[in-house]
Amino acid sequence: MNRFSAWASRPYDRSKPVSEIQPILVLTHITKQFPGVKALDDVHFEMRPGEVHALLGENGAGKSTLIKIVSGVYRPDAGEIRIDGRPVTFNSPHEAQAQGIATIYQELSLYPELTVAENVFMGHAPRTRLGTVDWAAMRRQAKDILASLEIYDLDVNRKVGTLTVGNRQRVEIAKALSLNARVLIMDEPTAALTEADVERLFHSVRLLRERGVGIIYISHRLQEVFQIADRVTVLRDGQYVDTRPVSETTEDDLINMMVGRTIDNLFPKLPAEIGDVVLEVQDVYRRPSVRGVSLTLRAGEIVGLAGLVGAGRSELAQVIFGLTPADSGQVRVNGQVVNIRHPGQAMQLGIAYVPEDRGTQGLVRQMRVRENLSMAVLRSLVSGIFVNRKAERELAQHSIRQLNIRAYSTEQIVNKLSGGNQQKVVVGKWLASAPRVLIMDEPTRGIDVGAKAEIHRLMSELAQRGMAILMISSELPEIIGMSDRVLVMRQGRIVAEYPRAEATQENIGAAMMSDVAVNNNNHATEQAEMPERAAV
Amino acid sequence: MTATTQPVTPAPASFAGRASSLLRPLYSSQEGVLLLLLVGLIVVVGTANPRFLAQRNISDVLQNTSYTAIAAIGMSMVIISGNIDVSVGSLIGVLATISGQMAVSGYPIWLAWLVPLFFGGVAGAINGFFVAYLRIPAIVVTLGMMSILKGGLILWTGGAWIYDLPEEFHLAQQAPLGVPMPVYFMIGLTIVAALWMRYSPTGRAIYAVGGNREAARLSGINERAVLMQVFIIHGVLAGVASVMFGTQFTTIQSTVPPGLEMVIITAAVVGGVSILGGTGTVIGSTLASIVIRAIASAMIFIDISPYWLQAVQGVMILLTVLADILRRRRQIRLIRG
Amino acid sequence: MAVGESPIERPGLGARVKTLFLSQEGVLLVIAIVAVLLLSTQTDRFLTVDNILNQARLMTEVGLVALPMTFIIITGGIDLSVGSTFGLAAVMLGWSWMNAGLPLELTIFVALGTGLVCGLFNGWFIVRVGVPPLIMTLATLALYRGLALGISQARSARGYPEWFYQLGQGQVLGVPTQVWLLVVATVIAAIILARTVFGRAIYAIGNNELGARFSGLKVDLYKLLIYAFSGTMAGLAGYIFVSRVSTTRSDMGTGLELDAIAAVVLGGTSINGGTGSIAGTAIGVVLIQLLKNGLSLAGLKGDATIVVIGAVLILAILLNNYIQRRTGAAA
Repeated sequence: MNRFSAWASRPYDRSKPVSEIQPILVLTHITKQFPGVKALDDVHFEMRPGEVHALLGENGAGKSTLIKIVSGVYRPDAGEIRIDGRPVTFNSPHEAQAQGIATIYQELSLYPELTVAENVFMGHAPRTRLGTVDWAAMRRQAKDILASLEIYDLDVNRKVGTLTVGNRQRVEIAKALSLNARVLIMDEPTAALTEADVERLFHSVRLLRERGVGIIYISHRLQEVFQIADRVTVLRDGQYVDTRPVSETTEDDLINMMVGRTIDNLFPKLPAEIGDVVLEVQDVYRRPSVRGVSLTLRAGEIVGLAGLVGAGRSELAQVIFGLTPADSGQVRVNGQVVNIRHPGQAMQLGIAYVPEDRGTQGLVRQMRVRENLSMAVLRSLVSGIFVNRKAERELAQHSIRQLNIRAYSTEQIVNKLSGGNQQKVVVGKWLASAPRVLIMDEPTRGIDVGAKAEIHRLMSELAQRGMAILMISSELPEIIGMSDRVLVMRQGRIVAEYPRAEATQENIGAAMMSDVAVNNNNHATEQAEMPERAAV
Repeated sequence: MTATTQPVTPAPASFAGRASSLLRPLYSSQEGVLLLLLVGLIVVVGTANPRFLAQRNISDVLQNTSYTAIAAIGMSMVIISGNIDVSVGSLIGVLATISGQMAVSGYPIWLAWLVPLFFGGVAGAINGFFVAYLRIPAIVVTLGMMSILKGGLILWTGGAWIYDLPEEFHLAQQAPLGVPMPVYFMIGLTIVAALWMRYSPTGRAIYAVGGNREAARLSGINERAVLMQVFIIHGVLAGVASVMFGTQFTTIQSTVPPGLEMVIITAAVVGGVSILGGTGTVIGSTLASIVIRAIASAMIFIDISPYWLQAVQGVMILLTVLADILRRRRQIRLIRG
Repeated sequence: MAVGESPIERPGLGARVKTLFLSQEGVLLVIAIVAVLLLSTQTDRFLTVDNILNQARLMTEVGLVALPMTFIIITGGIDLSVGSTFGLAAVMLGWSWMNAGLPLELTIFVALGTGLVCGLFNGWFIVRVGVPPLIMTLATLALYRGLALGISQARSARGYPEWFYQLGQGQVLGVPTQVWLLVVATVIAAIILARTVFGRAIYAIGNNELGARFSGLKVDLYKLLIYAFSGTMAGLAGYIFVSRVSTTRSDMGTGLELDAIAAVVLGGTSINGGTGSIAGTAIGVVLIQLLKNGLSLAGLKGDATIVVIGAVLILAILLNNYIQRRTGAAA
């Protein structure tokens, strides 16, 4: 229990007991299915006026699907949405907006070349009696809205393109208010903000709450939840876990709810002999995401890299792989210092990177299985200047067999494969380059259990054969089940390291999310009693 | 865009308050830079060859620039909305011929002046339909349209010029109060268009659609309707331009000056209309038209071969585009921190 | 059905023939054959060896420029400056011979060099600075034409020696010289696009440039190369044209980009990138030439044929959109 939550959980109308306040928004039995994956399964959610309601869950838990349903981007396959007690259906985001639901996404939808005032009022600008746009009124009203959020230092005549992310976000909030939003959805609002901006954001959020606006707040940062939220709902694997007042829960509880699950033998980890150091990263910087990372990787070992979205893990991988240059720092492969400026170079050195987003980064979906499988090693399949189709086909067949890819031929268009098989194609592409170091970024995200197990088994086998694997994952059971060592990254730095024996959900979860300094021996429960929490 | 720090000639004291606050943004805007460029040109070339500043020459420059400027108004709108139109030069040729033919065939003169506006609008609607509803990239649609119009004109006229136009036809040759008629149209239409772009909800919607198409849709803006309107207005303005063009001489040629569309596009872009869409003003494009024509005239007066004019225009458009792109990239870098 | 359980089948011959004919290339081939039959029955001036060879000669310039244009459009880009590069190369050729006294034999390098520089200029800004291809090549369309006008001062160069004229009007083994060149260039381009790593990369870039980059393909280098290639071909085409007509004028090549883009799009290359083939472009070039021939044999003036070309461009895109939607292009 910290000093913020007592103050934060006061209800909007203090004359009424909390339990009697009519909710603005109620979702019941919401189910949403996508090809191959059930994003939401019988989920409930409820929103009262004047409350900040946090929505928690790991990546893939269903949070973003849920808010897209609330904001009218998706329609649920089953379940009901009620506003002020009336059932509603949203056929478009515009209809949701008309009902007073506004969303602030991470990619803000603003017009960089237009002013703050115009951005706030685009599409519904105040008019004069002649029907023309009333600029003076627009500027005045924009200032008023900002003033109601106690923002006095933002010039409404500035072009939005010249503003920092923090200020752009405030413009989005003002926009929502100009539409008389009653429910405001904020998706990872603090991900790209400075500490000062976060404080200002919280201030705005509190003011909104006092005005009776309900706020759905999605964030991975648990301490924020305790600072700003009244209630918290946790989702896990598309299912509803629980809703609790923030004052009646602790970080440990939340972590448990978010990640706790039985670890079955999804993780056939075979023992492997761990050899020499093959990759060494020293003090690598790539601002603003990677701020001084050092790690080592040995042949035969699987190192799990845990952390939240925005911790900088993918950015680190992309620096190692040569997709983006490092600002400073050193990388050594097999003891030799290297300066990797292009993925081709990385491949020559035996490094491969299976990227996070298989659709846009990992595959060319409109091309065939064969073409995707060979894409990284085309140069080696050449006879003369021509691509040797026969060799290419043989490679593809080999990869298909090795990974058990379910496709009816090498010529099938990759887009038609299931998620799990698409992922196998990406992995197969990189295995064809015979790497010594394999970096896998969310290797089993969004794929079915069977394919997950297959990929994990493959990873084990590869490690047994001497490959060094750096596995970036947001799924704690996967991290715990597959890793010889676990590194935790937060805000651009490695903040903890656990050998396999000490890697527990509590330890890792706490290191990922809590602000408190963690080392190998502490347990998160001890830190929970510390009275001071550093401001974010 | 670089802004100089020299103030423009200070406003008269009686307008001090509001005038100076209006002038300040000029220093750092494209329009301001153009104004300074124009002043600079006048000063430099005027001292080198005072005949540059003769009443006759100024009148000539303004008159000749008018039809380009009028067409550039519509082009600016098209570019702000995120599209482009390379067929406008050929369209002007066709419309001027229609106008001339009607005059020679005995139709009432006012009809000969108005019909081009109608057909201009029709042409614009056709372009707009392909772009907005069939979702074909504007560059390709207008590339095709350009050749259809260009070839169509030749087919129709067979290369023959139109002579024997009735006296009253020559609207552009009239000069009420000593100012050439086209100049009135240019200034009048610029002001009307500027007001419309600034004060009408549709005008603002054009900026939205060009600036962030997705966000515009989420704001409830009907982008297809907006695009249609833009293209139609652009077509009508091309019609006005064609009347100005067609009525200035005693004959109407069977072709338009080659590269007219590039001059119009250059005027818009140099005038501050970003070719990436979402920003710019028609005042800027009119100013740019004047500056470009002034440069052409200046080149004659300081003895540079006018055949270099197109190259100069090409450099101007390239520099403006580069400056715009670099500015945007710097902005993106600012966010990334 | 898991692959391990049954052999991986290649589509049977019958299925392959079927997909070939339902593609845009197939449709076009049929149209081309029909057009040839139509023209030969309508007039007896068409199906003569002289006419056919002459048409082949006339379409060389467009054909050469359409080859790199195919690569460029497949990557999702465009090059509007080819006509102006053509004109500038022609002017530089004339200038270097008439004003700078360069031996005429060496002017081929001037033409090629001019084209290469123009192409590299485009490519550099597109790749390194990130200017969208449409905008960059629109600006250079104006700039290069302006340079051509300025350097030539609108004077035309004439008086080329007879052997130069023969180059453009000459024959080898009964077929015009430049047609051999075109055929060889087409075959090479087709092979590169279809069978080499570079070609594969071009398709990958057009479908998913980011994915191509992440797979280690040298996206920036390849893009630079195709624009350089485009400029060089435009320069070469300019040289051939000058030798064929034995004059140099600064307005040469106006509208060349229209013809090239129309041929490429007609040939089945999607304007949005990702699909296309040299074979299709070749058929497109031939069809457009047949069209022009047919119109001129019917008495229509040369200038007026651009009406039809313009209409063809728009129709070709509509056709392309329609076919893509029917075959359910990768959703």
